[in-house]
Amino acid sequence: MGSIEFEHVSRRFDNGAEGLHDVSVSFAEGSMAFITGHSGAGKSTFLKLLLAIDVPTRGRILVGGVDVVRLPRRRLPLYRQHLGAVFQDHRLLARRSVFENVALPLRVVGMRERDIARRVRAALSSVELLDKVNLPPRYLSVGEQQRVGIARAVVNRPRVLLADEPTGNLDPELSQSIMGLFRQFHQVGTTVLIATHDRALIDAFGGRIVELDHGALIRDNGAAGDSSHG
Amino acid sequence: MGDSRTETNPPAHEAAAGNQSSEASAAQKGTVPDSRPPSTPKGAALPWESERRPLGTFLRDHFREARESLAFVAGAVGTTLLVWLLMGIALGLPAGLYILQANLAGVAEGWRGSAGISVYFEPGAETGVTLALAERLRAQAGVADVRLITANEALAEFRDYGDLAGTVELLGGNPLPATLRVSFDPPLGAQTAEVLSAGLRQEEAVEDVVIERTWLERVASLSALVQRLGWVVALVLGVGAVLVTSSSVRVALESRLDELRVLKLVGGTDPFMRRAFLYLGCLYGLGGAVFAAMIVSLTLFTVEQPLVRLLATYGGDLELRGFDATFLVVLLGVGALLGVIGSMVACRQRLRNLDILA
Repeated sequence: MGSIEFEHVSRRFDNGAEGLHDVSVSFAEGSMAFITGHSGAGKSTFLKLLLAIDVPTRGRILVGGVDVVRLPRRRLPLYRQHLGAVFQDHRLLARRSVFENVALPLRVVGMRERDIARRVRAALSSVELLDKVNLPPRYLSVGEQQRVGIARAVVNRPRVLLADEPTGNLDPELSQSIMGLFRQFHQVGTTVLIATHDRALIDAFGGRIVELDHGALIRDNGAAGDSSHG
Repeated sequence: MGDSRTETNPPAHEAAAGNQSSEASAAQKGTVPDSRPPSTPKGAALPWESERRPLGTFLRDHFREARESLAFVAGAVGTTLLVWLLMGIALGLPAGLYILQANLAGVAEGWRGSAGISVYFEPGAETGVTLALAERLRAQAGVADVRLITANEALAEFRDYGDLAGTVELLGGNPLPATLRVSFDPPLGAQTAEVLSAGLRQEEAVEDVVIERTWLERVASLSALVQRLGWVVALVLGVGAVLVTSSSVRVALESRLDELRVLKLVGGTDPFMRRAFLYLGCLYGLGGAVFAAMIVSLTLFTVEQPLVRLLATYGGDLELRGFDATFLVVLLGVGALLGVIGSMVACRQRLRNLDILA
């Protein structure tokens, strides 16, 4: 999918507050980085813009050299099919089984049934939930639900994996486990961007840190801290 | 998301219906103007093109969506029956008017008893003249019957009306003319009747010729009125049917917003997401059409006997037409179409403005 570049990106809301202010930052393909900052610093805005859920009021967001801000509406789904997103609240469908939840991105792209079954099992295996395949999410623990969310995010083998506070509700041990999964995906070439305010977690894992404060970029240890799988 | 800031803007990508430009959006909001380069050209290759979807997968997805829609309909029996009833009424009234119009047109075409011409002779016309004309008319092609009513027979018939019997005595003589009643088989068209009556008016001793088409004209006028009324009612109730489906589908759509948000997040296109709801609308429409057919059928069954008796008094017979296989197929098709249109209206409104991370 290529590199990710934010060029002088600003996002001003109706109430006049700035979610992001003139942020310029880039991530090489296959890199892993933490987007951090206190609550309200602009981490979520950053990821929303990258997911093309929101548009900046100024600046460009280039993914693989294409300005996603300028993508026609009809092409946004195709762009999103190549991203994986993990959220703190999992966003699993209560009425569907674990299998069906994880299979959603594959159904969207029209994959064959046998390939869906194979991919879903592989994804669930990677998060060690193969034995829960037929259960509805409500029978899973919070940590297991988060892992299902991760399986869904990676089942379509995205080139970019975005996570917003993925360990927000988890105890330290589970958080370590989830972060380990992200590292695994990064090691196979996936670009991983994780928004979190958990400094202990960041310190434990190290790597590149992009810190925001009131929407402005205040720290980027850049190439020095860039955790490239290569 | 973890960010606690209240974001009042809708997702601009999603809310930008009609590809409203971000510049315009920014201008409306009074925010910093954008200075971005032109948009990605339409059709330009992107580094993340999708693979072509196999036909089998496409059909499988449709089958699954249809099955899930059927399950949804079956799982909400009360709501479904209400929607079907409303749709049935909305479709049934214009469908009933169509049947009525078709039968009125049939009555106008098939009326035999009264269709014909009355030839009125001048008072005192010689019997030989009247008989000669009657013979000539009988010899004409298409003439079913010619009946001569002499002046005396007309007077006798007049006397039979008790209230008027005294009036004739006051006149002192017979003021009534001899008359020829001519009926035709097959019934005459209006133009043919006019030509024939114009010719008869030129005949010796003929005072007047009257084309007895009053009934036909009334029936034809009524048929035209019903037809126009049917179109108006169909249009109004068709819109109503679309709104009923749209509202019902919207309820279903709202109940599945979580799923739709996730689908959109993982790259579901609008056509992919609305597919299930199109099937739902189609099922609502088909069910409504079945209800409409039942309503029309019940109505026909109820009015058939009184109508037969009414027509018999005018010398007509009733053969109900219009309620046949073609009618049912068209009714089902129209129902399904209105249902799908209603769904598209609901989906277009809701999916465009769907906030993925609400």
